Formats: sequence, C-alpha cells, structure tokens
Amino acid sequence: MAALDATGRVLEVRPLPLRHFLLRIRVDGMEPAVPGQFVMVAGADQAEPYLRRAFSVYGQEPAGEGALVISLLGKVIGRGTEALAACTAGEDVPVLGPLGRGFHTMGQAGAARGRSALVAGGIGSAGLGLLAEALAGAERPFDFYYGGRTAGDLVEADEFRRLSESTGGRLVMTTEDGSAGIHGLVTEALLETLEAGRPEAEIAYGAVYTCGPHGLMAAVARIAADHGIAGEAAMETPMGCGYGACLGCAVELKKGGYALCCRHGPVFDLEEVVW
Amino acid sequence: MTRESGGSGPDLSTQVGPLELQNPILTASGTFGYGLEFAERADLHRLGGLVTKGLSLEPLAGNPPVRIAETRGGMLNSIGLQNIGVDRFLDDVLPGLVGLPPKVIVNLFGYDQDDYVRLAERVDPHAGVAAVELNVSCPNVSKGGIEFGHDPEILCGLVRRVRSATGKPVVVKLSPNVTEPAALGQAASAGGADILSAVNTFVGMAIDTNARRPVLSTVRGGLSGPAIKPLALRIVWDVAREVDLPVIGIGGVETVDDVLEFLLAGASAVQVGTALFRDPRTAERLVDGLRDRLQTEGVASVRSLVGAAARQE
Repeated sequence: MAALDATGRVLEVRPLPLRHFLLRIRVDGMEPAVPGQFVMVAGADQAEPYLRRAFSVYGQEPAGEGALVISLLGKVIGRGTEALAACTAGEDVPVLGPLGRGFHTMGQAGAARGRSALVAGGIGSAGLGLLAEALAGAERPFDFYYGGRTAGDLVEADEFRRLSESTGGRLVMTTEDGSAGIHGLVTEALLETLEAGRPEAEIAYGAVYTCGPHGLMAAVARIAADHGIAGEAAMETPMGCGYGACLGCAVELKKGGYALCCRHGPVFDLEEVVW
Repeated sequence: MTRESGGSGPDLSTQVGPLELQNPILTASGTFGYGLEFAERADLHRLGGLVTKGLSLEPLAGNPPVRIAETRGGMLNSIGLQNIGVDRFLDDVLPGLVGLPPKVIVNLFGYDQDDYVRLAERVDPHAGVAAVELNVSCPNVSKGGIEFGHDPEILCGLVRRVRSATGKPVVVKLSPNVTEPAALGQAASAGGADILSAVNTFVGMAIDTNARRPVLSTVRGGLSGPAIKPLALRIVWDVAREVDLPVIGIGGVETVDDVLEFLLAGASAVQVGTALFRDPRTAERLVDGLRDRLQTEGVASVRSLVGAAARQE
C-alpha cells in the first residue's frame, strides 16, 4: 500500500523564530518518504479549517516496530498552520502519506556530474530537507542556497550548513534586508556563482533543486535553462485532498494541459512547467 | 471485511428506484475520481455505490488554477470538468470496477443535447454500469449542462432523449441554484428520469484580501462541504415530497447524523463528497457508523427510515 491514512502521535512542537515551527510526529506503519514527498495533516479533532494541509516531509527517522518519526517544518500563515502550531505533545493527529512523486532525477547521468545546487526560499527549505540528507548520505556534493526576507526566515540554517559542508559544499545565505548572509536575493547569489567562475564551478552544477515561492522557482528555472542545467522544483499549490481526487491542484504544463501537483508532483522537472 | 449475511444486524440495503444498493452510502461525482484511484486508500467493496467524475465525449483539460478555495465549513471548486473522456473510462477504468459490490453510476455531461444522447449510447452496452447520472447543473463551465438544469422544458426534453438512448436507469442531478429545484425535478420526472440526486454545488465566490482579487480563476465556483448541508436538506425535503421519484441526497454529508437527516427527509441514499477530501475513509466510516447506530436504536432496516420525518409532520 503506497500511502497510509494513519493517526500520528505528536512528540514535539518546537517554536522557531518568526512563527516558524518544527513538528515531530510518530506514525505507526508509515513508509519512509522519498525526498520531496509530502503528507496531509491536521490538528487533533480539528473541525476548522475543514481541509488538511500539505506539508513536505522535512525529516524522518525509523522509530522501531515499523513506526516512523517524521518532522514537519512550517510557518504560521493561516488557519491551518495556526492549528498545527497549536498542537501539543501527546495529541493524536491524522496523517495521510507519504504522497506524490518526489525528486526523481538524482540518479541520472546529468545529475551525477559535478555538484548540485539546492535553492530554498524561506520555508521552502522544508521541501529540501530530505534531499539534502540523501545527498549527504550518498556523499554527493552540494551547495545550499538559502534565501529569506530577514535572518529569522532562515530556520534550520545550521542543519543545512552541516549537511552541505559534510559533502565539501557550502551554505550560502541571503536576506533581502541584509540581516544575515549576503544582502540580496538568493537567485542573485546562484547567478553569481554560475557566472563568476568560482573554481569549483568549473564543472558547473550538474543539477539544481528548488523549493520556495513561485517567483523564486520561476527565476531558478530561467537561470537553469540559461546555463543548460537540468533541475527539479518541489511545487506548492492550493490542495484539497492531496491524493488526486479533487483535481484542485492543477499545474500548467508546457506540453499542454494540466498535471496534478499532488500526484504528478509535487516535484516537477523545471523545464516541463509553464512558469 | 465479510458482510454478515442472515445475521441479526440491521439491514443496510436500500432500494433507489430500480437500483438495489448494499447500503445507502455512495461517493459523489468529482470527489472519488473514477473509483480505482481510491483502491489503495479506501475499501471500495464496502460502498453502496460510486459515482464517477463527470465524463464528456472528449477528454477535457479543465480550468486554469486557482481551482479551489477553502471557506468556513467547506470549499469552493472550479475544476472545469477535467476528465479523461468517456471512451477511456469505459476501456481502461470500468473493467477494474466490474464485479465489485458497489453500483457504478456514470456521471455524464455535454454541451448540447446530442452530446448527452451520444454519451448515453456509448455507456449503454456496458453491463458494469448500473445507471447514468446526468450533470445538468455544473456551475463551472459556461455551457456544460447548466442551462439544461435551469429550464424545466429544456430539461424535460433532454431527459426524454437520453431516456430513449439507454435502458440504464437515468439519474438527474439537480441544481440548487434555481428558485424551485422541485419544479426541475418534476420536469425530469416528466421526461422519464428514474431517480433524482440533489443537490449539486451552490454557486459562490471568495476574494483574496491581500491580492484584492477573486481567489478562483473563474471568479465563481461551487460551494460544497458541511456549510451547505441545511440548504441541501431543505431541497431534498421539498423534492421528496413534491416529486414522485426516489431521491439521493447530496450536500455536506460527513457524519451518521447527516446520513440519517437526509434519509428521514426522504432520500433513499446519500452521496458523500467533500468529506472524502478531509478523510478518504469517510464513506466506510459512515457504513460502519450507520450499522452501529441502527443496531443501538433497534432499527431493523434503513428502508424504514426513508421519509420518516415527513410522515411525522
């Protein structure tokens, strides 16, 4: 059974700066997620908002007896995230997943060449957590570009620094207000690396993986296309069900028509999407 | 999950016109895909029936995003009838559903009367299809069906033509976006419909207060979920009393109480829709919950509940 509708036990809700939070949930019988996959979750006995919310699986670890502890990284932006952030340890919450198609080109020839660039905008870093871990585990070098409006947006930056540096890569932080890292946009930092000919970049990036606001991912797609780099984006759309029933999460494709973000995605090839 | 047979448990089976269902819980069109998508997340065998996503003669890509907007107690959708087309459904999907206990009802919509007739003709030879449900009330495409559902004369003519194109039971899904849905139900009845399903979504809209523009790409969408249940229940009540056809109740069904309310108002079965998005096992839970409830209350048969509140009035 590919996806399981289960009840998870909240282990921890860790408040982070600027209303970010890290939620750890133990789910019995849940299959480990592929990097980029997501779960649909809601608070305990939650009547409102009515629909569950989609969260990338940010981290996961086996907990014995077929159980999995998943970590979700989020930011309170509305009623759904508000309800989740208000969970307390010991509560039981519904968890459906893992869902969707995760990152899928890591093993391909083009991607294996050289290092990878992971580009996160704000809480989009959650969608790249498992990927960073997988690359580090496989000793595949990557640089992690992490952009936010302000320093507090760069949650878990130390973790991404640790993972990228373990592969010989680096963490590049940017903020729009200059309060941390480079003053500017994360896409500008990516471009600079690509065009300044940083020594390691002689072999360029073999692949770029991105998750963040739509505009950021669109810019990354343009940059990747200009430099002949393949890549993937973990996309976010309004989602009703998360498993292909409501057809609400349409993403327009260049070949025509729409794909469902929850089934065909949430990870799309950069070049297949109409940005 | 074997079904108790000959036991002392309550009899959940129900008769909806010519359709005999193992229980009164169906899944609504557009909320359960074509059925098989749910095979890994829900126990199809236990449903009373399933209604497919609306099918057209040709595949449809649907509306551009944004297609859904969550609202208090429900959601708006403007999917635009995205579907794989009737032929692919009949060739690729239907064989996987044949032989399962739930009755398969195929939801059809067209842009003109000929479309509906051709769709009914395509479906007619397939033994795995228990009935057709005509979508004459989708609020999300400029033409698809809506004018048929709003004009009694046109609806009657359409149903008459479909009626003569297929031997399958014909279900007509009523729009709530008219002054008197029961009048449309009477028109459908006059045209030869076997069953009415009521209701489709209510036209509504939402505005993004940050962007200062409508949320949905089409501005308007169909409202569904618990928010519409009292509105739908009133229409089912009226239709059941004023039209001499069996009714399938639809609108915000999520709990056993919701099911009972629709049955008591006169529906012979219900369709579960938006609640499936929140929990894909809602329909199974309702089957179990209904059985437990009837057992507890000593009610021998679902059929005894149908319309019981009307008789008390």
